[in-house]
Amino acid sequence: MGSKLVEKKRKSRETESESEDELADGAFDGVLSQSDDDFNDLDSEEDAHDQDDEDESASEKDADDDDALLSDDIPSDVDGEEAISKLLRETELEIEEPGVDPKRKEEDTEDRNYRIEKDANGNERYVYDEIDPVYDSDDSDAQGPVNTIGNIPLSFYDSYPHIGYDINGKKIMRPATGDALQNLLDSIEVPKGWTGLTDINTGNPLNLSQEELELVRRVQMGLLPDDLHDPYPETVEYFTSIEEKMPLSAAPEPKRRFLPSKHEAKQVMKLVRAIREGRILPYKPPEEREKEEEEQEEVHFDLWQNEEPQEANPMHIPAPKLPPPGYDLSYNPPEEYLPTKEEREEWEKLDPEEREKDYLPQKFGALRKVPAWDSLVKERFERSMDLYLAPRVRKNRLNIDPNSLLPKLPSPSELKPFPTVAQTIFRGHEGRVRSVAIDPTGVAVASGGDDGTVRVWELLTGRQVWSVKLSSDEAVNTVRWRPLKDSFILAAAAGEDIYLMVPSHASVAPALDQASREILAAGFGYATNGQQQTAPGKEPPAKWARPGAKLEDEGVLLRITVRSTVKVINWHRRGDHFATVSPSGQRSSVAIHTLSKHLTQIPFRKLSGLAQTAAFHPLRPLFFVATQRTIRCYDLQKLELVKVVQPGAKWISSFDIHSGGDNLIVGSYDKRLLWHDLDLSNRPYKTMRFHSEAVRTVRFHKGGLPLFADASDDGTLQIFHGKVPNDQLENPTIVPVKVLKGHKVVSKLGVLDMDWHPREPWCVSAGADGTIRLWM
Amino acid sequence: MAKIKRKGQTGNAKNYITRTQAVKKLQLSLPDFRKLCIWKGIYPREPRNKKKVTKSLTASTTFYYTKDIQYLLHEPLLQKFREQKALEKKISKALGRGDVSDAARWERNAARPEKTGKPRYTLNHVVRERYPTFIDALRDLDDCLSMLFLFANLPSTSAVPAKMIARCERLCLEFQHYLIVSHSLRKSFLSIKGIYYQANIQGEDILWLVPYKFNQRIVGDVDFRIMGTFVEFYMTLLGFVNYRLYTSIGLKYPPKFDQLKDEQGAELGAFMLEGVNIATDGETKAITDGEEHGPDPKVQAEVNKIVQQLKEDESNEMALVSTEEGEEENTDAIDKFEPVAPGGDILPQPSQSSSDTSQLFSEFTIYLSRETPRQPLEFILRAFGCKRIGWDSVLGEGSFTTDESDPSITHQIVDRPVVQATMSSNGDGEDNQTSQKLGPNQRYPGRIYVQPQWVWDCINDEELKSPELYAPGASLPPHLSPFVKTSQGQYDPTLPLEAQETEGEALDAELEDQEVEEEASDEEVENDMDVDSAEEKEDEEDAGSFGGFSGDEQEAEEDEEEDATLERQRELEAELSGKSVKSKPVDAKMKAKLEAKKALDKKAKEEAEDLERAKGMLSKKKRKLFEQMQYTNNKKSAEDLKLRSKRRKLEKEKAKVNGTA
Repeated sequence: MGSKLVEKKRKSRETESESEDELADGAFDGVLSQSDDDFNDLDSEEDAHDQDDEDESASEKDADDDDALLSDDIPSDVDGEEAISKLLRETELEIEEPGVDPKRKEEDTEDRNYRIEKDANGNERYVYDEIDPVYDSDDSDAQGPVNTIGNIPLSFYDSYPHIGYDINGKKIMRPATGDALQNLLDSIEVPKGWTGLTDINTGNPLNLSQEELELVRRVQMGLLPDDLHDPYPETVEYFTSIEEKMPLSAAPEPKRRFLPSKHEAKQVMKLVRAIREGRILPYKPPEEREKEEEEQEEVHFDLWQNEEPQEANPMHIPAPKLPPPGYDLSYNPPEEYLPTKEEREEWEKLDPEEREKDYLPQKFGALRKVPAWDSLVKERFERSMDLYLAPRVRKNRLNIDPNSLLPKLPSPSELKPFPTVAQTIFRGHEGRVRSVAIDPTGVAVASGGDDGTVRVWELLTGRQVWSVKLSSDEAVNTVRWRPLKDSFILAAAAGEDIYLMVPSHASVAPALDQASREILAAGFGYATNGQQQTAPGKEPPAKWARPGAKLEDEGVLLRITVRSTVKVINWHRRGDHFATVSPSGQRSSVAIHTLSKHLTQIPFRKLSGLAQTAAFHPLRPLFFVATQRTIRCYDLQKLELVKVVQPGAKWISSFDIHSGGDNLIVGSYDKRLLWHDLDLSNRPYKTMRFHSEAVRTVRFHKGGLPLFADASDDGTLQIFHGKVPNDQLENPTIVPVKVLKGHKVVSKLGVLDMDWHPREPWCVSAGADGTIRLWM
Repeated sequence: MAKIKRKGQTGNAKNYITRTQAVKKLQLSLPDFRKLCIWKGIYPREPRNKKKVTKSLTASTTFYYTKDIQYLLHEPLLQKFREQKALEKKISKALGRGDVSDAARWERNAARPEKTGKPRYTLNHVVRERYPTFIDALRDLDDCLSMLFLFANLPSTSAVPAKMIARCERLCLEFQHYLIVSHSLRKSFLSIKGIYYQANIQGEDILWLVPYKFNQRIVGDVDFRIMGTFVEFYMTLLGFVNYRLYTSIGLKYPPKFDQLKDEQGAELGAFMLEGVNIATDGETKAITDGEEHGPDPKVQAEVNKIVQQLKEDESNEMALVSTEEGEEENTDAIDKFEPVAPGGDILPQPSQSSSDTSQLFSEFTIYLSRETPRQPLEFILRAFGCKRIGWDSVLGEGSFTTDESDPSITHQIVDRPVVQATMSSNGDGEDNQTSQKLGPNQRYPGRIYVQPQWVWDCINDEELKSPELYAPGASLPPHLSPFVKTSQGQYDPTLPLEAQETEGEALDAELEDQEVEEEASDEEVENDMDVDSAEEKEDEEDAGSFGGFSGDEQEAEEDEEEDATLERQRELEAELSGKSVKSKPVDAKMKAKLEAKKALDKKAKEEAEDLERAKGMLSKKKRKLFEQMQYTNNKKSAEDLKLRSKRRKLEKEKAKVNGTA
């Protein structure tokens, strides 16, 4: 575009020159050039306008299509561009003299008063113009062409065409008068509006109207082309320049106008104070100031001048100090601290994090041989990391002797005696031996088994002394001796029948035998005589009868028939009552029989859960009944529930009460043996889980030895030392002492029952393998 | 109606705050938060139950007390951090705009402690807050000193500006000066990591580690920004502690520091201590006495002598002054209460031994050889009363004398091997005093030559050790840590072995001896014995399981049976190999010992059984606790056992060597 513009400009110049040629008198030429010179500095728009006009006129004359096209192409703001192009042209024209700034030259040509000529030698020669003295110049010499006719009137030259002579003696011609010019103009007949220009479109001479001529005139005069705009309007003064004599307000001059400002004084004082205190320092170059700051020492003072000891925050945990170095850190340690080769290898093999110590003891013969410690910086760094990043936890170190934790146990010698070996094995039963019991005198053992027989054995020798077959199809579930020495009565249960018998035994004196028989017979004389008063239509809870001649000959003297199979018999300590439990009998599961009256009572009309076993308290009139989960204790005198013991076992198999009466052991089918302190809590005091199978029977030693044992289906008996102290505050001591192994496990049944000797630390056990063993 | 309790509104959920939460709450960047934590001594806590603390699913690792963080909110330093942050922003913005001049102007305001070593803030208030009393500050001085002494020995890098190092060094030296003047250094220990020192200031034991004077290698990833933050705080702390310590003994702080001397490597000697009331006295009290009389190395020996004598007089005077001071102190000290009439209780009093040890080396003039570590020796000797310490001029400025031949020298500390060959003396042409120097191994008469360890052992045992043990070239007695407090039953290398070993061990050892003797004659027997012992072990293990206790007599019988079978087996083996059956040469003594051992073993077994039984009766919790305790105890005793056996072996070897020699 730029190059096109330039091209176009060049063309327009050419056309201009053409038009110049065409203009014969050149009147317009001079006008235009003059306007150029004069109004160069003036509004460029004006310039552009007239250039535009000129261009237009030129283009009108020029028949070139391209030009017309180009001019059409030029956008509406062509005026401005034209102006620029004109300026450019001027400069282009004037860049004839290289190296000289064209503007500068222009000025020069105007200002300078000399010409440069070449002298004879070819050098530059400055020829100065003649000085033109201005009006107030005091140079009287230099004057323009002056009429030098002297002091004569001009009328003398009326007849001559000249009016005098100049300093060179040349005639000064009389200037043409108006008349003459008028005459000349009048002589030439010019049509109205004649311009001497040709319309390029028509080829006819271009005549200008009056308005157009006026426009040309205005341009010629350097005025704005249209006369509507007034460039010099009358000034309207913004402020009046007239000073008013009277003030607008009559208020007196305020005090602050003539009193010094307090606020300023304050500000000044502030600064003064700051300077005095050294907060504002006199200006110093920054470098100097920096240097000073660097040199400045840290200020020290007594930070703890008025120190007050503060209570340490209880939550604050001070950082633990590093442990002091030990012997092995020495540069010259005792030789035993040096690692052996294996230790060294082991240490090197470990990961650095896993090592117990981060160094190996080393020995240097002399101080000069000690090298720098490589990881010192790292260790320090780790310490600082610990200080700020490691969570601190207060850990109470138990500074106690570990042995003080251990309970004070009786020494093994104190624990003795307890059964250790199987002394005698009683064989004879066919099938399992269900129950076993040692008589109160401690000479005979009674047993009952699956073969339906009750056998009595001599304890020490294992000889069977007596036997009776109670039933051919029912097993003898339990045998129990009457716990008094004044009789020799054995109770046995087979099926729904309970038999009371007096076995014949070598040690039994005839008197004792007689006494026993009398005790059993006494009930027959009693009013009930086996027939209880019961409500009509209701079955009596039990029938007391003689078992028949055959059995009576054998010594079985009494049979009590209850409603369901009896599993447990437990005698009262006085021997008059005994309790039976038949777990399958719904309401009548627990029955208490009175031997002297041949009376059977069912104490519970309703029982929560299945009764498992029952027992009398050894000292007080209390009665314990175990259901599957709990053991309930009833007062027989007040007829009320005293206590419910909850061993937490799933299925209680048996329990036994300590002869002191305050402690209870419970065995359960879920392999547990539990010790209850009845005074302490309903929950077990100790739970022992040493068996791998169900615990069948638990039994305290009743003869004053601190022993108890349990029999389990895993074929073992476990003997414990269980001492109940006399002091109420002390807890009972329980020590496991012995596992008695010997019974074989037959179809998942091991030891079914066991009993202690009344005095000695011996016990007998009945196994599912058909044997009875005496342990001592 | 009771207020409804919601989860996460009270208790642990409120008491703890995670690190991210804390940073957000304080509106800080993580590095700034770290700095603040380090200075304010705020550390993470371990909540009892982490699950109750966090509401988020992701497990946070670091928890702080909310109260701690709240307390940080009021910290004036926080404002400084924020200002700094704003300034940094301005600078970066200006740079982004291209306003270099603006950026430069801001930059001038910005503190660049990593360049200048001087931050725009002070940590005074933080020190006071963390240590409300001076004693508190002393209690926490261990880490501070260790860190500053380490930094004083670090090379300067971009992370550790030289100014920081210089400042650390100065603070450390000032602290050392206090220890020298107050004679509060108690113990020192040469370890493989560096030199441990222990001082007692106002009843507080302070233990710190100073590295050996080597260029420290920096291994692993060590973040010097964190260390620098610590050092910044520690420098402030030690500055104030020093001030307090100096003023407490009537000295002016900071002491006059001689730049010129320091540049010549005078270290401790570059400081001149002044009394506080300098205006009234008008004279400075020089504590490091000998120093200001630096001897001219160019004067002749005789002139030297005279000067020396003069000096001695002066120093004696000084000593007198100090003893006078000592007497004054004695008036403050505790008087000894002697019971006048019998029958009263005896109340224990602290002994006055400290004043004695502080003057341990006061009588001596000690010369340090070129190869000895000058800085620790100078410090320790001065702290224990030595006034006149000389050393070779290569070790730096500030010595009492650089002339080795000085006749006033009583002790010379050397650390070089004894060279047997007598070489033609010296080629050191540059040295001025070559004429006075002696050849290698030649000694000046009338002075005691010792190795450096002598100094340490002397101060640790608080008595002058016999120098023969520490003679140059001699193999040194072991250097033991003075910080170990031996507890009952722990292995103590200072006691003879017999006093510490258990009965069983002694028996074992003796039996072993004899076995070793036998070993030479018959190896097979030994093999059998091994089998035997293995079986025995198995037996023991069996007995460990529950089963009550079996009769011991039974087992003993079994053992005997086993022995018998073994004997038979041995015979059979002998037959097979075609050797004649050797009856075991068992003398009566050996037999008795064997019996004793058997009895001991039996006893041990019984005890173990008892223990097992007793353990069976403990509750699970208590049993675990007990086992833990037993574990650590056993570990310790195993270590001791190992040490004892090693020592036994060593002693045996030594005895053998002696026997053969």
